Amino acid sequence: MVDARQLLRWMVVARTLGTTLCTLNVRWFPVEGEEAVHVGSFVDLRPDDAAAPHYRDPFVVYLMRGAELWRLVAQVLGKSAGYNKGRSVPFNGPFHLGVVPWVAGDLGTTIGTATGAALAFKQQRSDRVCVCSFGDGTANRGDFHENINLAAAWRLPIVYVCQNNGWAISQLASTYLPAPVAARAEGYGIPGRTVDGQDVEAVRAVVGEAVESARRGGGPTLIEALTDRRRGHWAGHIVSDADRPRAVEPSDPIELLRVRLLERGLVTEGEILEIHERVADEVTDAVERAQAAVDAGDAELGTDDVFA
Amino acid sequence: MTTKAPPAPRAGSRRLTYMEAIVEAIALEMRRDPSVFLIGQDIGPFGGSMQGTKGLYEEFGPERVLEAPISESAMVGAAVGAALFGCRPIVEVSFGEFLPAAMNQLINQAPNLHYMTGGSARVPVVVRTRVGDGPYGGHPQDYVSWFAHIPGLKVVVPATPVDAKGLMLAAIRDDNPVLFFEAMSLSHGRRAEVSAGDYVEPIGSARLVRPGRDVTLVVWGSALPLGVQAAAALASEGVEMEVVDLRSLAPWDAATVVDSVRRTRRLVIAHETWVTGGFGAEIAATVAGHVPRVELQAPIMRVGAAPVPIPSGHLRARALPTTARIVAAVRATLDG
Repeated sequence: MVDARQLLRWMVVARTLGTTLCTLNVRWFPVEGEEAVHVGSFVDLRPDDAAAPHYRDPFVVYLMRGAELWRLVAQVLGKSAGYNKGRSVPFNGPFHLGVVPWVAGDLGTTIGTATGAALAFKQQRSDRVCVCSFGDGTANRGDFHENINLAAAWRLPIVYVCQNNGWAISQLASTYLPAPVAARAEGYGIPGRTVDGQDVEAVRAVVGEAVESARRGGGPTLIEALTDRRRGHWAGHIVSDADRPRAVEPSDPIELLRVRLLERGLVTEGEILEIHERVADEVTDAVERAQAAVDAGDAELGTDDVFA
Repeated sequence: MTTKAPPAPRAGSRRLTYMEAIVEAIALEMRRDPSVFLIGQDIGPFGGSMQGTKGLYEEFGPERVLEAPISESAMVGAAVGAALFGCRPIVEVSFGEFLPAAMNQLINQAPNLHYMTGGSARVPVVVRTRVGDGPYGGHPQDYVSWFAHIPGLKVVVPATPVDAKGLMLAAIRDDNPVLFFEAMSLSHGRRAEVSAGDYVEPIGSARLVRPGRDVTLVVWGSALPLGVQAAAALASEGVEMEVVDLRSLAPWDAATVVDSVRRTRRLVIAHETWVTGGFGAEIAATVAGHVPRVELQAPIMRVGAAPVPIPSGHLRARALPTTARIVAAVRATLDG
């Protein structure tokens, strides 16, 4: 188990990296404000479990599973060194690390494949599980209903985490969410939980409990993590602070944990500063290495690599 | 070019229907490979739509014959995910008319996974479904051509019991998503000698059903028996028609077709589905645009369904291709 300081470090990685990627690619989807859901939901998974994170800058999830930072940055820059060889949307993750791939531009498709990962684990009689997160907008795709219903009927080892930031691109949740997402769990006959998505320790505890239940054959759980998107849908999408919803307070999960760790005496201001500096250096090095790499070209177009 | 005859009847072969041959292939592979399992509707004690899984539940039980909610997108999506993580699922989508409900997984997801992950993911999944006119008349719409358009999908369209078994075994063992289209008019049709053993028919290889020097007819699925009848009728008039059964649309055996038309210099294409934007157009364009040039003596003709949603009842026969329409198209190329 990683300690609380490590949780802080992973969230700083997500924030620092995300902010940098937004300057490199205006089509990148900013994670700022939502780091605790990514980190808390996936940090305790075993390497042999499957991870299907929400598309909103999931790189920290891939890094926690062992991905190389510079190769992820290379994906954002369309370089051949990306795990995707420059072929897919840049937020696609390294499959060999048990990440459910992002290959469609269409939301909800990974709810299906993540459910299938859990189906494989059940068929193989293993105790592996899958955690699948998605946004509150995606929660209205048919895939949400069809797959959670199927997973409930077959008691599959999967945890669904709805990362509810209160809006979908530009639309406010009032236009598409008539009731809390977690309340739908009752309709499927599975546990539904709501958690403060800004509190990484709380997310970790609730998801961890659901993961252990799934591992023991208890079937799926639906968790709604209330969080806060502090920027536009993509890096170039400028929204004023007044126009965006306030899904939850406080808006900064890193600040929340920082204050808590200082109060507990688990970390000093100096150590926090050191974490920020080291992470900034790591990101800078990764960006430099990725920028120096070659762009994806004819060798990666791969007309002979469409079929396995 | 594949002119190989189907496996010769021998000890251990029985006369099976097309559907029995498919079920036998699935049972053989489920015995051989514990990672193969089935997802679908009514595939339990009921035995599957049109007896499409008869006996499988009794032999393999509910842990490998999974009766699913009526949720095609989840069925296909979950099968694709299970394939990513080490299984070889077969999804039974009762009828092809239900495929549109799973289109996101079939089009945006399954075919993209290997390529978009830089070649690291494999998706050994089979989606089998039933199309066209059949003994019960229901669910006749045939959307097979849509799927041949998409890079990363294999599309299999068997027309005989022997091919149905060998192509199903090939489909399950393939490391890519394979759509397996069963022609309902053939499902409970004429029996044929089928080897009881394990054999694979290669996906992407056509079969020369009948040699002929005057004209080439390309067919797949339910159009094969129509084409064979048309060839017999034309033979009585002294016209020797070569019949090529494509057996799969993606990949498709362009070499065999081009080679045949280079000899006959006339081409007719017949299929049960619609002509407009259909796969017959791809065949015609490939032959017409081939370099080096294929010398044609007549315009390429296509025979398919009338451009209407396939109707029910008495109107059905008026909409679908017939032996007579194929013969008429061939005569037009001979006159042309």
